[in-house]
Amino acid sequence: MRAKLKAVSIAVAGALATMATNVEAADTVKIGMVAPLTGPGAFSGQLQSQGFKLAVDEVNKAGGILGRQIEAAIEDDQTTNPGVVLAFSKLAGDKDIVAFIGPIRSTQIHAMAPDVLKLGKPVMIGGTDPTLTHMDNPWLFRFRPNDTFSARVIADFGTNTLGKKKWAIVHSTDAFGTAGMKNLTEALKGLGVEPVLVQGYPNNSQDFTPVALALKRSGADVLGSYMTFEADVAILAKQMRQLGVNITWVGSPSNATTNALKLGGPALYGTYAVVDFNKDSAPPAKDFHAKYEAAYKATPDIFASWPYDAVHILALAINNAKSLEPDKIRAALISVKGYEGAEGTYNFDKNGDGLHGYNIVKNADGTIVFDKRIDFKE
Amino acid sequence: MGFALQLLFTGIGVGSIYALVALGFVLIYRATNVVNFAQGDFAMLGAFAMIVLTVDLGWPYWLSILITLAALVLFGALFNLGVYYPLRNRSFLPVIISTIGASILLENGVLVAYGPQPQSLPGLFASQGFNIGDVFFDSQYLLILAVTIVMVTFQYMFFERTLIGKKMQATSQDKEMASLLGIPVALMIMLTFAYSAVLGGLAGILVAPVIFVSVGMASSIALKAFAASIIGGFGDVTGAIVGGLALGVIETFGAAYISVPYKDGFAFLMLFVFLLFRPQGIFGERIAEKA
Amino acid sequence: MTAGTVTTTAGGKAGRIWLGGVLYLVTAVVTFAFANFTMLSAYVLNLLMQASTYAIAVLGLTIVLGYAGQINLAQAAFFSLGAYSVGLGTTTFGLPFLPALVVGVVLACTAGGVLGLTSLRLGGHYLAMVTISFQTILSLILTNWVSLTRGPDGVLNIKRPTLFGGYFLDSGHYLAMCIAALYGVGLLVWHLRKTRLGRAMQAVRDNELAAGVTGVDTYRTKVVAFTLSALLGGFGGGLFAGGFSYISPDQFSFSESIVFLTMVLIGGSRSPVGTVLGTGLLILLPEWLRFLKNVYLAVYGGAVILIMVFMPDGIWGFVTALWRKLNPTMRIAPGAIAPLPLTREVGRADGSLILRVTSLSKHFGGLKAVDEVDLAVARNTVHALIGPNGSGKTTLLNVLSGIYRPTAGRIELDDRDVTRLKPHQRAGRGLGRTFQNIRLFGNMSVIDNVMVGAERPSHVVPGHATGLTRHALAALDFVGLADRAYDAVGSLSYGHQRLAEIARALAGSPKLLLLDEPGAGLNHIEKDELVGLLKRLKGHGLTICIIDHDMNLVEQIADHITVLNFGRRIADGTPEEVLRNPKVVAAYLGEERVGASS
Repeated sequence: MRAKLKAVSIAVAGALATMATNVEAADTVKIGMVAPLTGPGAFSGQLQSQGFKLAVDEVNKAGGILGRQIEAAIEDDQTTNPGVVLAFSKLAGDKDIVAFIGPIRSTQIHAMAPDVLKLGKPVMIGGTDPTLTHMDNPWLFRFRPNDTFSARVIADFGTNTLGKKKWAIVHSTDAFGTAGMKNLTEALKGLGVEPVLVQGYPNNSQDFTPVALALKRSGADVLGSYMTFEADVAILAKQMRQLGVNITWVGSPSNATTNALKLGGPALYGTYAVVDFNKDSAPPAKDFHAKYEAAYKATPDIFASWPYDAVHILALAINNAKSLEPDKIRAALISVKGYEGAEGTYNFDKNGDGLHGYNIVKNADGTIVFDKRIDFKE
Repeated sequence: MGFALQLLFTGIGVGSIYALVALGFVLIYRATNVVNFAQGDFAMLGAFAMIVLTVDLGWPYWLSILITLAALVLFGALFNLGVYYPLRNRSFLPVIISTIGASILLENGVLVAYGPQPQSLPGLFASQGFNIGDVFFDSQYLLILAVTIVMVTFQYMFFERTLIGKKMQATSQDKEMASLLGIPVALMIMLTFAYSAVLGGLAGILVAPVIFVSVGMASSIALKAFAASIIGGFGDVTGAIVGGLALGVIETFGAAYISVPYKDGFAFLMLFVFLLFRPQGIFGERIAEKA
Repeated sequence: MTAGTVTTTAGGKAGRIWLGGVLYLVTAVVTFAFANFTMLSAYVLNLLMQASTYAIAVLGLTIVLGYAGQINLAQAAFFSLGAYSVGLGTTTFGLPFLPALVVGVVLACTAGGVLGLTSLRLGGHYLAMVTISFQTILSLILTNWVSLTRGPDGVLNIKRPTLFGGYFLDSGHYLAMCIAALYGVGLLVWHLRKTRLGRAMQAVRDNELAAGVTGVDTYRTKVVAFTLSALLGGFGGGLFAGGFSYISPDQFSFSESIVFLTMVLIGGSRSPVGTVLGTGLLILLPEWLRFLKNVYLAVYGGAVILIMVFMPDGIWGFVTALWRKLNPTMRIAPGAIAPLPLTREVGRADGSLILRVTSLSKHFGGLKAVDEVDLAVARNTVHALIGPNGSGKTTLLNVLSGIYRPTAGRIELDDRDVTRLKPHQRAGRGLGRTFQNIRLFGNMSVIDNVMVGAERPSHVVPGHATGLTRHALAALDFVGLADRAYDAVGSLSYGHQRLAEIARALAGSPKLLLLDEPGAGLNHIEKDELVGLLKRLKGHGLTICIIDHDMNLVEQIADHITVLNFGRRIADGTPEEVLRNPKVVAAYLGEERVGASS
C-alpha cells in the first residue's frame, strides 16, 4: 500500500514537474529575425536589431503577447542570398517561433520566399520591391511602402506640387534602382509625362561627370533618382553643382540620411527626398525617435523604424486574434487598419502591404525638414 | 566641344590615379615577379590614416600627410616581411594567393575598426575649383595631376641618378647577379615594397576627397590599374603611366558616349583585346619563351 | 631490403585500389539513401545543397589548378553560366531541367575553351588577368542585359527535374541527386590522375619546359584542363540554381571566384578529397563562427596567408604528407620485370646519319650564341659536344629540342626536317633529352615520371595500363632504379634523380638521346656507372649526343666529338684528332701556341 502511494506520489510529482517545465516553455512567445549582422549590410543590420529590440522591450513591459513575454531569436544572414536562406531555414527549424522579421533587401526576400511559403508562418519584411506582395505568397507582410508608392509620390510631388514637367531619371543598375526607375517611369506616364533622360549607373561609380553632363545636355528641370549608396549621391550632387546643373531634385531615401548630408554637404542643400520615416511627419514618429535616441544614443532611420512598427503591429494582431495559429495571425494582420506607427498610418490591404504613401522632406541648409506626406488610396 | 574638354580633364584626372597605383604594381612586379593584389589597400590605408589624424585627432593637414607617408613606409616593410618574404622562393601562385589573403585581412580589419559607412576627408584646397569657359577644373583633380607629374619625375631621378635607386633597379632585373655584386637583395626588395606602399597611400590620400573614404574605395581602382599597366606594357614604368592615363580617358569617354552602366567593363574589354593581339602592351617587349 | 619497407607486386597496389573503390561506393550509397529517406531540416538541406554544388565547381579547380597548375579566377563566372542556363532555361524558355542543365554545361565548356585557347599561350599573370576580365564583363552583362537575364532582380521560380508522375523533385530527393553527382564527379576527377591526360597535366604543372620536351603537348593539355574546369563550374552552377530556386547576379561576382579558390587551397588542391574537405569547411565554418561576426572575415584573410606559408598543399596535403612519413613505402620485388624493348625503331650502325644539322644559328639580339654550326651524328654512335663555358653547347641543345627557334639553319632527324616542330612533336619523332639541372616532375612518383616519357606522341605501348606500367618498370630496371618506382622523386639522391631522368627519356624508345652534362654532380663511382649505362645503351642500338666537361668521361665513351667555341664549330672528328687539335687546346687553355691561330 505504502509502495503504491509512493509510486503514485512520484508519478504525480513527475507530472507536476513536467507540467511546470511545460508551463515554463510556454511562458514566452518566440519571434525570429534574420538580419545582416556581417557583410556589406552590417550597419543597417545593427539598426534593424536595435529597432527590433526596442519594440520587443516595450511590448514586454506592457504585458507581452497573450500575457507572455516575447523571446527573440536573431540569425545573421551575412547580406548574401544563400546566407539568408540558411539563416531563415535555421530559424524555421525551431517549432516554437510563431512569426519572423525578415530582411530589408528585396533580393534576399526573394531568395527565402520559397522556404517561407513552405513553412506557412507570417514574415514581416522591409523590402520595397512591389512584386513581393504580388506573387501569391500569403505569408509576407510589408512594413514599408513599396516602390510603386515612392515613385508615385516623387512623380506627384515634382509634377503637381512643384510644377516641373521635364523629368530626368538617374538610377543605380542594381535591383533597387532598376525597379525604382521602372516604377517612376510608369508613374510619370500616368501623369502624362515622358522623361527626357533615363540614365543608369553602376554602384560606387566614384565619378559622375558623364551623368552630370548628360543631365545638362537633356535640358531637364527636375531630377528623380533611385540611388542606393550615399557616397554616389554626394559625388553626383557635387559634380552637378560644379558643372552648373542646378535643377530640382527629388530623390530616394538615401538622399536624406544622416550620412548623405554629411558627405554631400552644401551640394545637397535645397534638394528633396522621399522617406518612409521622418521624425517630424507625425507624433508617433517623433515618439519613436525620442525613445530610440534615449535607448541607443544614436539617431534612428528607416532601418530601425520598420522593425519597430512590425513588432508592435504583430503583437497587436496576435492579441486581437487571441491565437498563435498562423492563419489566425494572418487574418488579424490583414485587418489592421488605422494603426499609427513610426512609418505612418498602416491600413493593411489583402496583399499584405501596410503603407501606401511617403513623406517628402527637404534639405534646408543641412537639416532635414519635413515638407508633406502624400498617401494613396491603394 | 565643352563637353569633350570636360570629359578629357576628368579622364586625365581619373587616369592619374590609375597611373599612380599602377606604378606601385609595376615596381613590385619588377622586383619580385609578383602581382600584389593588395596594392589598392595601401591606398585605402593611407586614406583612413588621414581620417584618423586630421578628422578624429584634428591634427594639421600637412603634418598628417607626412606622418601617414612615414607610417606607410613602415607598413610596406611589414607587408613584405609577412606576406612576400616567407614565400619568396616559391612559384608565383602562392604569393598571389597570399596577397589576396592580405587584402581580405586588411579590408576586414579596417571594417571592424571603422565600420562600413563612408567617411569624408577634406581636400587640400578650400575652394572646389574654377571655371574656364564651359569647363570646370576640380582643384583636387589638378592636385592629383600635379603630384603624379612630380612623382614620375622624382621616380626617374631616383632610379636613374642615385646609387640606391640603381641598386634597386639592378635587383629587379637580376636578383642573383645583384647579390653576387654585394647588393643586399632582401633589403632592396623591402625598400621596393615600402616605396610602393607610399605610392599607393599617396594615391589614396589624393583621391579620397573626391570619392570618400571607405573600405572598398580602392579595390576596383587597383584592378583597373593593374589592367592599365598590362595595356601599357607590363613591367614598364612608362607603360604604367601611359596605360593609366589612357584608361582613365577611354573609360570616361566611353561612359559618356557609349554606356554608363558598362563603364567598369571598358578597362577589361581593352585588356582582352590587347591580350589577344598585343600581349606585350604598348611599350612592352615581345614576350619570349625562356628555357 | 632495408627495414621498414614493404615489398609487394604491382598487383598488391591494385588490391588496395579495389578496396578503396568499394568503400567509396558504399559511402556514396549510404549518403544517397540518407538524403532520400531521412527527414532533414530545411537548414541542413540547404547547407548540404550549397556544399555539394559548390564542391562540384571547386573540383573543376582541382583539375585546372591542382593537377595542371594553371590559375582560374573566373570559376564563379562559369558557375553563373550554368546557373543562368538552368534559371532562364526552365522559366523563360520553358525547357525541362535536364536539357537546360546540358545547355549550361555546354555553354560553360565553350566559354572555357575559347578563353583557354586565346590566353593559355601566355603565362601565369596574364591568365589571371584574362579570367578576372571575363568574370567582370560577365557580371556586368548579367546585371545590365535586362531583357535577357532579368537584370539585378534575378530569376525566380527555377524549376527542378520532374519525376514520372510529373511532380517536381522535392528538396530531399534533389539533394540526393546532387550528392550522387558529386560522388560521380569526384570519382572521375580521382581517376583522371592516373590517366595519360592526368599525368600530362601534372607534368605541365611541375615543369612545363621538361613536359614539352618529354612529349607533352603543353598548350593542348592546358586548354583541356581549363575547359574541364569550366565544364564542372557550369555543372555545379546548374545544380545550384535548381536547388535554391532563385539566383541573382550579385551572387556570382569576383569575390565568389575568390571563395572558390580559397576552398580548393585550404583543403588541398592536388586531391579531390582535399577539395571536398575545403569546400565543406568553408561553408560550415561561417555557420560555426557566427559569433565572431565581422572579425571572422579578417581572421579568414589571415588564415589564407598562413596556409599559403605553412600548408601550401592544404590540410589534406598536410595530412597525406604526414601519413607518408609514418608509413612504409612500397617497393617492387626485383627480378619480376621483362627487359626494355629499346631497339624497336633504330637502324644499324652503318654510318648513316640520324641527325643532320646544317648551318644552324641562334642569335639573341646582337649576341650570336650559336653561329652557323654544322653537326652530323651517325647512327648508333656516341657523339660528344664539348667546348668551354659559354660556347653555346646548351643553347645548341635547346634549339635541337625545340625550346628555342633557330635564327637560321636546318635540323633533320632521321632524314626528316624538324626545324619548325614544337618540342613535343620532336619527342614524337624519337628525340629524347635530359637537362643539365635536373628537370623531373617533382610532385609525381618516379614511375609516373617515366610513364609520361612513355606516353610521348607516336609511341605505342601494348597492353593498356598494365602494359604501360611494365614498360615503365622496364625502363627503370635498365637504369637500376626499379625498386624505387613508387617513391616520390624528391626522396631520390642526386645521382639517382639523374638516372630517373634518363629512364624517363628511355621510356619513349628514342632514336636519339640528348644528354646535357649527365655527369655533373656525380662522384667517381656514379660516373663509372654512368659510363657503363651509356655503353649498354649504345649496345642496344641507341644513338647518344652528350655534352660534358669531364674529358675522362668523354674520352671513354665518345666515338665522335664536336667542339664549339663562341658559338662556332672549331673542330669535329674522332677523339684522337680533336683532343690534340691546337685550336681546341687553345680554346680551353686560352693560350696561343706557335703556328696556331684561332
